[in-house]
Amino acid sequence: MNDRSDVETAERLSSRRASLLAAMAILFLSGQAIYALGPDDPGGTADRLKVAAWLIWALTLLFLLGSGGSLFRSRRVRAMMNDETTRAHRGRAYAVGFWLAVGTSIGIYLLTAFDRVAPREAIHVILTAAIGGALATFGLLERRAHRDG
Amino acid sequence: MAEGLSNRLCALRAERDLTQAALAEKVGVSRKTINTVENGVFIPSTLLALKLARALGCTVEAIFSLETED
Repeated sequence: MNDRSDVETAERLSSRRASLLAAMAILFLSGQAIYALGPDDPGGTADRLKVAAWLIWALTLLFLLGSGGSLFRSRRVRAMMNDETTRAHRGRAYAVGFWLAVGTSIGIYLLTAFDRVAPREAIHVILTAAIGGALATFGLLERRAHRDG
Repeated sequence: MAEGLSNRLCALRAERDLTQAALAEKVGVSRKTINTVENGVFIPSTLLALKLARALGCTVEAIFSLETED
């Protein structure tokens, strides 16, 4: 009975995680507008807060993507939530993130031929594309697997 | 020549009167994984294929076979 509950719990949590991560990816990517359009005050308190908030957000998302979340659940439930399919989806998400980072880096490299790009801005754009893309890919693959099989 | 993997997991599971969740429980994976394997969306590892065979009481070859297209 307990085992059956574990399967159902893993199913429910995994499905919820897929939707949550897909939504977080959209929020993370669209939230960059705030960063880009916000008041320009390099080195100021508001700027530091903005950078720190973004960094914490990015690291949290990376941790969720890598760990699969639900750390306080039993080992069996977590194993089911991170079984072969999920690990394969995570691998594909990492690959998408990698290629997005490479593509964005090349784009910024080319851009520097015409305009000055601050190192922090460049890193911000590359990490945003890589993390957002990887997260969105993982969320969508998981959602599709839950929906269609 | 392209090769694909066909499987009889759904039929074998139904013959044993097992739900996807029940088979998932026996193997220790999520129902999503059983579902994706049955639909040919996901190709399982050797380890998972062996676990599925053991849970269904048959050989791996009884579940999975190569389909060859010329």
